[in-house]
Amino acid sequence: MADTTRRPGAWHNLGTVIAFEVRRTLKRRSFWAMTLAVPALMLAISALVIFSNGSAMKSVDASQRQQVPFTYTDASGLIDPTIAAKSGGTPTSDADAARAAVVAGKADLFIAYPADPSKQTIEVAGRDKGIAQPMDYAGIARSVLLASAKEKVSDAKLAGVLTGTPRVHELTYADGRVAPGVASVILPGAFLVLFYLAIIMLGNQMLNITVEEKENRVTEMILTTIQPTTLILGKLLALVVVGLVQTLVLIGPMLVLPGLIMTLLGANLPSSADLPPDALPSMADLASAINPPAIAVGALLFLGAFLMFTGLLVSIGAIMPTAKDAGSAFGTIVIALFLPFYAMGILMADPHGVASQVLTFFPLTSPVTAMVRNATGTLYPWETAVTLVLIYGFAALFLALGVRLFRTGSISYNAKLDIRKVFSSRRC
Amino acid sequence: MQPTPVIEVDDFTMTFGDKTVIDGLTFDVRPGETFGLLGSNGSGKTTTIRALLGIYTPTAGRLLVQGRPYDPAVHGGLSYLPEERGLYKKETVIDVMTYFGQLKGLPRAQASAWSLHFLERVDLASHARTRLDKLSGGQQQKVQLGVTVMANPEILILDEPTKGFDPVNRRLLLDIIEDHQRAGATVVMVTHQMEEVERLCDRVLLLKDGRAEAYGTVTEVQEHYGGRMIRLTYAGVLPTSSAYVIETNEKNYAELSLTSDADAQVVLRQLLDAGVTVRSFEAGLASMEEVFLRIYGADAAKEA
Repeated sequence: MADTTRRPGAWHNLGTVIAFEVRRTLKRRSFWAMTLAVPALMLAISALVIFSNGSAMKSVDASQRQQVPFTYTDASGLIDPTIAAKSGGTPTSDADAARAAVVAGKADLFIAYPADPSKQTIEVAGRDKGIAQPMDYAGIARSVLLASAKEKVSDAKLAGVLTGTPRVHELTYADGRVAPGVASVILPGAFLVLFYLAIIMLGNQMLNITVEEKENRVTEMILTTIQPTTLILGKLLALVVVGLVQTLVLIGPMLVLPGLIMTLLGANLPSSADLPPDALPSMADLASAINPPAIAVGALLFLGAFLMFTGLLVSIGAIMPTAKDAGSAFGTIVIALFLPFYAMGILMADPHGVASQVLTFFPLTSPVTAMVRNATGTLYPWETAVTLVLIYGFAALFLALGVRLFRTGSISYNAKLDIRKVFSSRRC
Repeated sequence: MQPTPVIEVDDFTMTFGDKTVIDGLTFDVRPGETFGLLGSNGSGKTTTIRALLGIYTPTAGRLLVQGRPYDPAVHGGLSYLPEERGLYKKETVIDVMTYFGQLKGLPRAQASAWSLHFLERVDLASHARTRLDKLSGGQQQKVQLGVTVMANPEILILDEPTKGFDPVNRRLLLDIIEDHQRAGATVVMVTHQMEEVERLCDRVLLLKDGRAEAYGTVTEVQEHYGGRMIRLTYAGVLPTSSAYVIETNEKNYAELSLTSDADAQVVLRQLLDAGVTVRSFEAGLASMEEVFLRIYGADAAKEA
């Protein structure tokens, strides 16, 4: 007989499982339907919003370009009749008649400037033109007053200060260096978003890692062909690859489509030169916002949380007879995982209080809590160490448990696995 | 000198909760033989196979394949067809077969080529790109058998291999098993089909209530549990005799179980002397079905 006792190594089988799982997932129409649904929806909403905004802006521009004739009374004596006339204003001495004309729909606008506009209210009575054509009557009243006031100030610089918005560049310092402020939260906090997306998009597939074999009655064939650890690890890594594909599909349109839509719709993107200097962060600000230790901790927390959650779902999948049964347990786990979001106020207000500590060190709430606190800079180094040990410890525990339960539980085809049975027998 | 067993089960006990399913079972399977693991439903056959293959953890005892506990990473030459059949139903036939071929150590192209060749043999070549869940139950069984026998396994463990097959496909399956026997494979079969046992098996173990009720070559078991039989068609009235016991007697067909010192030729003479017209007369061992019925009773036979 030929030498048929081939012993494919664990790496060979791992690669085979990953390739098979990735290939069959990517071949599935439902996968692409689900994956493309998100960017397609985003595309549709973005197009709608940009189109609506474009139309609205054009409408506003048109209404702004159209001069609204108005009458006004000036008790302050500040209004320059020439400026008012350029804006369509005609002085009147009979405020009641002018107001009545507007009320009757015979005039568009009446403005009554009080004796002291800095303390008293300017009365504006305008004819309603509906929600579709909103008119900035108050803006007309203000602009005429400001332009008139500016004319009365001889110093151009003073006039500019009075009528413009002073530009301010703010810097705060911590430990002798510029404090990064909110920007510092972005990069470590990105791992929290990544984790959230991973759970939303991959959660069901994590659950199916073991449920599928059970539902298809393929467990005995597969378990006598490769090690359960290799199978589960292969499926897990395949999931990561699928997740990366989904991310690329998701991020690609996000990067390209807005510009494309704007171009197609002819909308104008604001140039950075049009923005005040403090509207965009400087390179120095961006550099100071990069906090490598916090980013590293965020990455470690994300990886640990991903592994822990997967291990937990693998275990649930091995216990439950069908995906439907496993789904209800999945919901409970997700609620527990994202419970810290509901306690965000507490985490922000009192990050070192009892509630925050409990959420930080309870295994199911630990990943999200620790990621939030790490991003906001309130996670002490010792807490970081304990949390990482805890999360990775439980990840290893859940994965090992998942493999053990899968080995035994996945041939309990029709019933929920009795966990006591799994641990009551010993290996010889 | 006996060759080193391929499979050794030594004092194997398996309990689930308070229930003892297997109680101190000991047997071995030798290289190149076809071994039948028999028993009524619930007698512990599948449990024994699952424990042997590491799916169940035994309560006590040793279960070894080629001298060590089964490990798929080490025992690349073992293939198993479980009683609970199933494959990845949403995938195509060729994808699933190629996947398992790769896991068994074949390069992808070779696994694919072997699969197509097998599908041609079992008349499923046109379904290579069909999803498994679009195939009939029998067709799925063939694919599962292909997955089991691919890569020429040294040890084949088949749990009720012909379950769900029609007679034509059953014959095809038995031919495939015989091909592997001829190639030197060791085959362990769990089956309820006694004619398959007689056709294929060298030795058998009959499990009853978790214990070995009978164990040995097919002939040894037939001699020990069934004894010698006479099957005859006749006309007239069968006389009573101390030389035999009438096991079956209907529509002029009878099966007589010979007592230990009785001689078949003497019995034939007695029948003729009693005026019985003997139209056919066959002396031989009890069939495995008769052995099975004697050990497990009529109820078990009905279940089987």
